[in-house]
Amino acid sequence: MNNLTRTSLVKRVIRTQAFTLLILLVAMILIFTVLAALNGAKFFTGKTFVGILQDIAVPGFLAIGAGCLIVSGNIDLSQATVGALSGIIISIAISWWGLPWYVAILIAFGFAAAIGVINAVLISSIGMAPFIATLAMSAVIRALMQLLATDANGSLQSTITFTDPTLTTIGGYDIIWRIPATVVLVIVAFVVYGLILKKTDLGRSIYMIGGNRRAARLSGINSKGITYFLYINCSILGAIAGIAYTARAKQGGLQALSGDQFTGLTAAILGGISFAGGSGGMGGAFLGLVVLKTFYKGMLIVGSSTYLTLVLSGALLILALSLDVWSQRRQRKRLGV
Amino acid sequence: MELEQKTVETTSGAEKTARTLEFRGISKAFPGVQALDNVSFSAEGGKVLALLGENGAGKSTLLKILSGDIPRDEGEILLDGEPLALTSPNKAINLGISVIYQERQLIPSLSVMENIFLGALPVRSGFVSYGQLKAKTQELIDEFGLPIDPTVPVAALSIAHQQMVEIIKAYRRNSPVICFDEPTAPLTDKEIDILFNLIQQLKEQGKIILYVSHRMKEIFQITDEIVVLKDGKFVTKLNTSETNEQDLIKAMVGRDIGDTYANLSRNDKYGDVLLEVNNLTTYAVHDVSFKLRKGEVIGLAGLVGAGRTEVVRAIFGADAVISGEIKLEGQPVKFASPRDAIDAGIALCPEDRKEQGLVLWAPITHNVSLPVLKKLRKLLFLDSKAEDDLTMNAINQYSIKTPTLDKKVLELSGGNQQKVILGRWTSKLMTTKVLILDEPTKGIDVGTKAEIYQMVCDFAKQGIGVIFISSELTEVINVADTIIVMHNGRITGSVKREEATEENVLALAMLE
Repeated sequence: MNNLTRTSLVKRVIRTQAFTLLILLVAMILIFTVLAALNGAKFFTGKTFVGILQDIAVPGFLAIGAGCLIVSGNIDLSQATVGALSGIIISIAISWWGLPWYVAILIAFGFAAAIGVINAVLISSIGMAPFIATLAMSAVIRALMQLLATDANGSLQSTITFTDPTLTTIGGYDIIWRIPATVVLVIVAFVVYGLILKKTDLGRSIYMIGGNRRAARLSGINSKGITYFLYINCSILGAIAGIAYTARAKQGGLQALSGDQFTGLTAAILGGISFAGGSGGMGGAFLGLVVLKTFYKGMLIVGSSTYLTLVLSGALLILALSLDVWSQRRQRKRLGV
Repeated sequence: MELEQKTVETTSGAEKTARTLEFRGISKAFPGVQALDNVSFSAEGGKVLALLGENGAGKSTLLKILSGDIPRDEGEILLDGEPLALTSPNKAINLGISVIYQERQLIPSLSVMENIFLGALPVRSGFVSYGQLKAKTQELIDEFGLPIDPTVPVAALSIAHQQMVEIIKAYRRNSPVICFDEPTAPLTDKEIDILFNLIQQLKEQGKIILYVSHRMKEIFQITDEIVVLKDGKFVTKLNTSETNEQDLIKAMVGRDIGDTYANLSRNDKYGDVLLEVNNLTTYAVHDVSFKLRKGEVIGLAGLVGAGRTEVVRAIFGADAVISGEIKLEGQPVKFASPRDAIDAGIALCPEDRKEQGLVLWAPITHNVSLPVLKKLRKLLFLDSKAEDDLTMNAINQYSIKTPTLDKKVLELSGGNQQKVILGRWTSKLMTTKVLILDEPTKGIDVGTKAEIYQMVCDFAKQGIGVIFISSELTEVINVADTIIVMHNGRITGSVKREEATEENVLALAMLE
């Protein structure tokens, strides 16, 4: 009888991509502080960091949903459009139909859940590739939004404003200083989903499905049920992101969330959730998001143009994806498989 | 880089001196394991050289280095005295090294002729000349006397014929070195004969042939020389005609394992009927019936594709049952998914360890606890202490070699990986009554094979009913108590171990 242990905690932490990101984040803060100082601006201020936190809420919900799906070896490209659709739905429900805010939200959740179910049917039951199925779904949702946003006179409203004190309070209520309630909510969500992924049997099952779907099924994991759950979950989180956005903007728009369409995905991948499935976690995704938003904020403060920032953020996604593939290959090579 | 790799040298037996391939001081380390340690030997043209060794002995690593797949740490490989720069698979091919792997390297949707001439298609005024391509391919096929149509897509060929196409491709490139990695694993006996015939022809042309296989019979049948590797080190080089099976095993294992089967300590008491299958029919099997008692080991024999795997998949709830009945301890059962079967006490070690059995990138702990996650739940969360205990038990019970509990399964050797799966199904949180082992010894070394046979007998002694599937006839007729033989999705006969011989089981399997 001998007794073995797990790899030590310190070793495990150092090996995670989250740890690398933490170093990257510190480096980025230093660089922007210096660059801003050279340009006569200030980066290292409370206002900057509060601003970064404010920018996290909406894409944060997206990153959580997308992250869980990617861990299981799936992907949902329709998530951000579900968010925009939810914004349109609650705006219409409140201002055109005169429904109370909570009913409006329930309708939005209903739509989101239905879309999640359809995605899961296409992918898990019919066997379509997740990329194709959800890309097609996002096209359907865009068209559906325009259909809904056409008013009684037959003219398309690209934005629909509404007034609802409760909802705008939730969206705008600053809990600590200028940190809104949605930011606190998203951080709580990151912690809860992090615990689900790493500490519960559901979370473990998600990793195992991402690692090897067939082996997981033959070992008694309900991979179909979990896939359904994850697509519905991702869609609902998309809706929550959309509602958070809409509540703060006080209007739903066809173009809402389009700037954050890939932010959730990028953050997840950047944070070490691999497209190959079965790895990464919520801590990494959160840090990935912070890194992304710090980058945007820093570029803004040092005076880069919005378009250049957009180009660079696209480049960042490509870089994150290449790093993902590259580190996979390197590991395979190292292990000789 | 050469565009045309053909005509490096003439092949018509005009070579005066035999060509040589020399490995000089090859070393390669992977994390935690020295896969190759200063290995030196040479191979000669016109001879078939067997590379022999247990799993993890370094054979595959050596082939991967030779084919430019992975870099070596130290040493040189020389062809006719010239050092080879094997920096990528493409380079290796251009330098005259062809490796025929178990996994086909062909493009299934392309025709035979396109596959054979891939990268060197005959071109006339900018377009591929299909007439010329067909004629050239036909010429090659005729040379070997094979019944293959050059124009059909490779996907339409049998596995054996696909392998032939790969060999012809290597021949077309005029590679002086051709390596075979377990080439006979997917083949029937007749197809093996054709393959050996082909190898014989290549040999007569003076090719240097390296041959990796676990099957002793073949080694004696086809090879001229044998290099034995153990733990990454060169052990010995022998002439095949001057050695025997017993000595080879001793060299591979480093000890005398004696007569594996005679030394097994078996179970001799059966209990009640545990599993009863009546007229089971699925998309692949017809009218299958048998009974398994407590403590009994039933062997399922048959050729590849006979329906053995499909029978157990249906019992396990992984494939849909069209008609028929399954009874467990007298009660009729219907499993909609593997989960139901597992809860009822049926466990399956699937035939393809890496594809279906293990989550390779996950740690040992996660692979062991996979079917009992719900039972490991304490309040909301998984009890990681209990999970560690479970894993530790498996490691001790099956002597799994690993430095830590959470080592990634893909870093373990094949035998240890199989033991992880056994540990999964026999942990104290499982109540396994029926254990199904589908090809449990595939690709596993001689020493570990013997361990697994004893484990099978031990399971039986504990009252577990075991279904043991194997394509190795010797193994199945010596380990199982009752051998059920299948052919074409049906049971063709059942033989007790005492009466079973390779001949009578094979006759039932081929139904000739």
